Amino acid sequence: MNKKKISLILGLMCLLLTYGIAVQIKTIGGTGSVMSTNAEENQLRDAVLKAKEKYDNLYAELENMEKKLEEERTNATQNNTELTNLENAIKENNKLLGLTDVTGNGIIVTINDNQDIPLSNWFGDPNLLIVHDTDLMNVVNELKNAGAEAISINDQRIVTTSAIECDGNIIKVNGEKIGVPFVIKAIGLPESLISVDRFGGYLDYLKEDRFLKVDVQRADKEKITIPKYTGIMKFEYAEND
Amino acid sequence: MKIKIKKEKLVMSITIGIACFALMLVMFMQFNMVKQTDITGIETMRESELRLELSSWNEKYNELNTIYQETVGKSEEYKNERESYEKTYELLSKELEQLNKALGKTDVEGEGIVIQLTDKAGTQLSEDVKVKRITEEDLLIIVNQLFAAGAEAISINGHRVISTTSIFSIGEEFLKVNGERIVEPYVINAIGNPDYLKSTVSGKGGHVDALKELGHETSVDINKNIKIEKYEKELHTKYID
Repeated sequence: MNKKKISLILGLMCLLLTYGIAVQIKTIGGTGSVMSTNAEENQLRDAVLKAKEKYDNLYAELENMEKKLEEERTNATQNNTELTNLENAIKENNKLLGLTDVTGNGIIVTINDNQDIPLSNWFGDPNLLIVHDTDLMNVVNELKNAGAEAISINDQRIVTTSAIECDGNIIKVNGEKIGVPFVIKAIGLPESLISVDRFGGYLDYLKEDRFLKVDVQRADKEKITIPKYTGIMKFEYAEND
Repeated sequence: MKIKIKKEKLVMSITIGIACFALMLVMFMQFNMVKQTDITGIETMRESELRLELSSWNEKYNELNTIYQETVGKSEEYKNERESYEKTYELLSKELEQLNKALGKTDVEGEGIVIQLTDKAGTQLSEDVKVKRITEEDLLIIVNQLFAAGAEAISINGHRVISTTSIFSIGEEFLKVNGERIVEPYVINAIGNPDYLKSTVSGKGGHVDALKELGHETSVDINKNIKIEKYEKELHTKYID
């Protein structure tokens, strides 16, 4: 009886340990790299974190300063129609440029990889079952064509100079890494934007030929919020003519 | 005798107990580590990557700081000049001009590259293989690669690429940019660092290079003074609240 109990406990522990080891091997195999405890690397890691924090702090300060600038601008233009018009033009341009958070009606498109088809049953190219940078480019292009006024992918605002890049297995928008599911929000006339979900459109191709998971939601009554661009817009080469 | 056995058993149990405890501890430590191992995070970066990351954050900080100082300056100016109509008008106009430039509502010039693509669709590559036509996706990819390489302004056959620009093909006949038809040869002007731009589109993985490989006639030329015209239509938001 006692022996049986001990065997059972030992057996259970072995099972637990094996499970733990299996999970770990899988994770490490997945990352493709071994954790490094090199002292110099750790120092660098700290330095990177500090640099990032410093940047974030300054960014928060900049946001406060932008609010202050807006206040000062309003103070300076009040009681004068001509100046107020100019101020409004600045506000409108900021919206168009992607420099302010915006809300409105529109649609939300969600695209995800197809992980349900086991690769052993799939005779095509496995790359077809995952979302690529060009897929997002095409969807964004169709949304623009349907009259979208503001677009974001996973909360990265699409501005004029936004690039959707592929960096190994990761997709970058505005230089920031994003992953599946890709949530594309667009503000515009919902009736018009929904045309991207038409037969023969790019989303149709993603669904029918690529078996990707595509979901399209109309936001007619509720509002969509699209955050502002958090990068830096600058000109070093282009000068006004 | 009986007591001896008990003693041995006790020692054994304690030993196993301690061993198990130690194992568990190690396992939990590892689980924790695995949890922290973000595939995209800095934990798995190697020394060289970390150095790059650090310098990129420092560079971004400096750029942000410039913008911060500018914002502080503007805010101060509005405050100091608020009694003067002329000065306030001047400040507003200056801000508006900067925004218009970023939006693509001004003509700009600077160094960059000129890409020319001549569609060789239909050319027989071998007995049963013909060159496929250049599509909107090809242009989308090239524009995307140019922005990824830091392009500040781009035009396609004279049409300025702005945040809402879409490129569409109408049947097999022609493409539309900003709603205007264009026909080949496609001429893409881009202002930015000419070496970056050129190597990105015509180096390995560059899409102009890919089109060349597919049988089209392409050229990429560096130009010290490229002029890119402004977006001609009205820009306004209708559906953004």
